[in-house]
Amino acid sequence: MDIQLKRGLLDVCVLAAIKDEDSYGYKIIKDMKPYLELSESTLYTILKRLESAEMLTVRTAEHDGRLRKYYHITKRGLNRLEEFRDDWKEIMAIYRFITKEDNLNG
Amino acid sequence: MDKTQFLEELKRRLSGLPQSDLDERLLFYSEMIDDRVEDGLTEEEAVAGIASVDEIVEQVMAETPLSRLVKERIQQRRGLKAWEFLLLVLGSPVWLPLLIAAFAVCLSLYIVLWAVLISLWAVDLSLAVSAVGGLFVAVFDLIRGNPAGGAFMLGTALVCAGLAILLFFGCLELSRGLLRLTKKMLLGVKTTFIGRENTER
Repeated sequence: MDIQLKRGLLDVCVLAAIKDEDSYGYKIIKDMKPYLELSESTLYTILKRLESAEMLTVRTAEHDGRLRKYYHITKRGLNRLEEFRDDWKEIMAIYRFITKEDNLNG
Repeated sequence: MDKTQFLEELKRRLSGLPQSDLDERLLFYSEMIDDRVEDGLTEEEAVAGIASVDEIVEQVMAETPLSRLVKERIQQRRGLKAWEFLLLVLGSPVWLPLLIAAFAVCLSLYIVLWAVLISLWAVDLSLAVSAVGGLFVAVFDLIRGNPAGGAFMLGTALVCAGLAILLFFGCLELSRGLLRLTKKMLLGVKTTFIGRENTER
């Protein structure tokens, strides 16, 4: 897939993974696995990016005698997800336009 | 490789990063490994499931802006002793011009490379223009009743056109090569900052 397109999608995917309840790194990767493979270092970069864009907040909590970071979606993050839904409608329209051209040629 | 080895290796290789960045990354990978172990993997399996240290270093290098690395390196070196500082100042008439000269030489070599490329493109353009011009003269000669001159000009125009096409692809390839070289050099500069510890050993 096109790198720019994938990058934008990954951000939204991570937001979606923490939308309903706070989640932690490993769980995010596991939840996304059926849909797309995400490496730890990529996830780290995305989380940092979303944090500095104030789309999520981080809190550290104790779990089983060690510390774990939990990620919580903010209002801005929820807005981003909402935006994505609107964007997607446009993308689908473009998709139909592209495949229509294909059908005409083929 | 177990967890401690993995984290130690990562720490060593990423020592050019700002301390807070480094600590945060190490904590992140440590948590990832612990969570995998909790999920039923052995420590070795957990480490193997995470990207190799090389891959991580490469990704970090691509993501971290050069300015940040330089800043970090300058800060790390701030602990100069008084006599070192004095030497640095006293020696500046010697090393400063040398440094500037070395930099200027590198820069001019680089500019020369681009200049050669630009002149090659210019040659290519002039060949193309000559080909078109030659064609016009050939047609003009034929109309004016000078078949020998016309044929000669037509031949010249064709040779020019052929050379222009060949040179075009050559120039294109050279331009791409030079861009690749630029990218490599920038990456090389970054590597000297991030891979500092690695090269010292």
